[in-house]
Amino acid sequence: MWTRKAIVYVGLGVTLVLFAPFINNLQLFLLGTTILAFVAVHSLVNTRPIDVKITRSFNDDQVFENSRVSIDLVIQNKGRPVGFLEIYDNLPSEVAVQSGLNHTVIRLKSNETVVNQYLLDCKLRGQFRLGNPRLRIYNPSFLFYYESEIESKSSLVVLPQIEEIEGVNLSTDFPKMYQGALPIRRIGTSGEFYGIREYFPGDDFKNINWRVFGRTRKLMVNQFEREDISDIMIVLDAREITGTGTILRNPLNYSCKAAASLVNFFLRSRNRVGLITYGESVNVISPDTGERHLFKILTALAEVKAKGSLGLHTVLGDLRNFTPRSPVMVISTLENDKTSATALREITARGFKLTVIAPDTLDYDRDTRIISPTVYFTASASLDNKITEARSLGARAMRWNPDSVLSTSLAEVIR
Amino acid sequence: MQTNNTLSLMQPIATISLMFSLSFAYLINPLEDSLFFKILDSFSSSVYKSDVINELNTSIIAGTLFGLFLGTMNIILSSNKQAYNYVSVGIFSFFVLIFFGYILGYEEIPYEPLQQLLFWVLIGLPISIGMVGIWQDRVGNQVLSAFLILAMPLGLSGNTNDQIYPILGFVFTYMLFLELSYGHARYSRLARIMSYSKEYESVLVWFLSTLMITLAFTMILTSLAFLFHDLLGSLLPYSFSNSIEYNTIYGQALSVLVFFMLWAVIQILFSRRYLARQVEDEIEAETY
Repeated sequence: MWTRKAIVYVGLGVTLVLFAPFINNLQLFLLGTTILAFVAVHSLVNTRPIDVKITRSFNDDQVFENSRVSIDLVIQNKGRPVGFLEIYDNLPSEVAVQSGLNHTVIRLKSNETVVNQYLLDCKLRGQFRLGNPRLRIYNPSFLFYYESEIESKSSLVVLPQIEEIEGVNLSTDFPKMYQGALPIRRIGTSGEFYGIREYFPGDDFKNINWRVFGRTRKLMVNQFEREDISDIMIVLDAREITGTGTILRNPLNYSCKAAASLVNFFLRSRNRVGLITYGESVNVISPDTGERHLFKILTALAEVKAKGSLGLHTVLGDLRNFTPRSPVMVISTLENDKTSATALREITARGFKLTVIAPDTLDYDRDTRIISPTVYFTASASLDNKITEARSLGARAMRWNPDSVLSTSLAEVIR
Repeated sequence: MQTNNTLSLMQPIATISLMFSLSFAYLINPLEDSLFFKILDSFSSSVYKSDVINELNTSIIAGTLFGLFLGTMNIILSSNKQAYNYVSVGIFSFFVLIFFGYILGYEEIPYEPLQQLLFWVLIGLPISIGMVGIWQDRVGNQVLSAFLILAMPLGLSGNTNDQIYPILGFVFTYMLFLELSYGHARYSRLARIMSYSKEYESVLVWFLSTLMITLAFTMILTSLAFLFHDLLGSLLPYSFSNSIEYNTIYGQALSVLVFFMLWAVIQILFSRRYLARQVEDEIEAETY
């Protein structure tokens, strides 16, 4: 391909060669000829085909939000020497280069290998495709160039960040009676030790702490953490409206973060957890346990995109097959969903223990002028109404400010 | 640091080339024959009602040095915008004073030396403009300077083979100025994007060494283009090759254009780009 400079040079050269004879000017004539000769000579420099192979390697292709990934772009020259090779590794806009560069200019000798290393900062969950690297060869005076893309795509999964949840009893009052065989990865039968308290008539004798009795002559009993095993369903709102805000701070991202934290918490307590997402379509991951199931849900959460406008009522059909009286946690702003009131009523009517978490980014949206103060007050009042309505149905409902710790916010509504 | 040194080396060489190309241009085309200065002379004669230009010193060296001084001042002052503005207003007022001093006949204003300075400023104008282009990476200034070097000394008397050495000197230094100044602008922009790396330094070294080699080959190809005129003369019918038109600069111009047209045709027939596409497809197929 010709650059603009080459076109100007040829135009100037031809003009000078044609114009110089009119004023009998050998100087301009010779200059025009030289410029044309310069372009002609340069059409032979660094324009031959090249044989370059590019491969990309990661230190990890599955990371959590706010992690860093080190990328090695290995450039192997298998052909002729290349004087000027510009390499630009295409990156999705959701990841940022922390150190090093994904854009470089190098000179490659025959059979030379160069490694370009850079560090990516993954601040946003998602499944991303890196590549293809774009190559551009210039000749030294920027007169000609040749561009090509090398097929070298890699995928990077950024899982939502998990927040540790502690000291919140979110499980059911009605644990499953017949669990069947569950993979228990801990030795022992009792749960975690919680503390001691005074003995009251009716307490089991086997829980009396005899050592403390020996020391204090007071009957004290050991307390253990409760370990209910139940099916828990998490319902995640992924409608288009949940993507409102900035790319990093929007209700959907915070919902995914909350869902990931809750799933992790419940699975570690050996419960069975399922996930339903609704927006463009309804996607169901049936309740299950184990580490593999955690990664299945986390991967699903990484892929969730704000699309569609299906209402909460669309998940009712899938909840029908779910164990009655089990906990259902709806993570949604309930904004612009006319079916939400009916759906919440039906969920509670079926006896599910309902918890509603509404990620509230309205303050941030107002402060950054994404929404006007009028819209803020309307949306805020509407959300308050929805929360009150859910509470009136017997649900545990809360507005969650994503800047605060989730377990602290949950503790306020779950007593 | 090494990269900065290589990049910095390009700037003084480009500046020296700029000065030499202007000097060669005035050596080939005397200032008295210059159309630009003839127009200026007739303009000043009509304004001042006297032959001002012809009374002034027309030293090209003084003008070149004055251009160098003004260009340097411009670059230094650019670091402080306020100082730059004050000095610019000062210089403008200075020249306004010359004009009014002469028109109104104020003997207190030494307008004669001031007119001399203004004249040297005009001679060195391509240098002062070009220096800003070289040292501040402004391609627009480089283009304007290149145009002024060609246009300002241009006269109607023409020049012949007797001046071939200054002409060759002019062509070489002019090309060097264009390539180094534009190359510096492009490579320093890339250097700003990329952090320093050893690979980038070797790209710069490659650019400079290739430039020297390609300039040498350019001179050889230019000679071949001229020799092609003789070759064409031996191939063409006698009546054509011995015609007056063919044996003047017009004939030479046509031969040169035919030479480069043939070059282009050969390149299309043995298209490197076509070959490149074929091989590249194979490489991509392997890489998939």
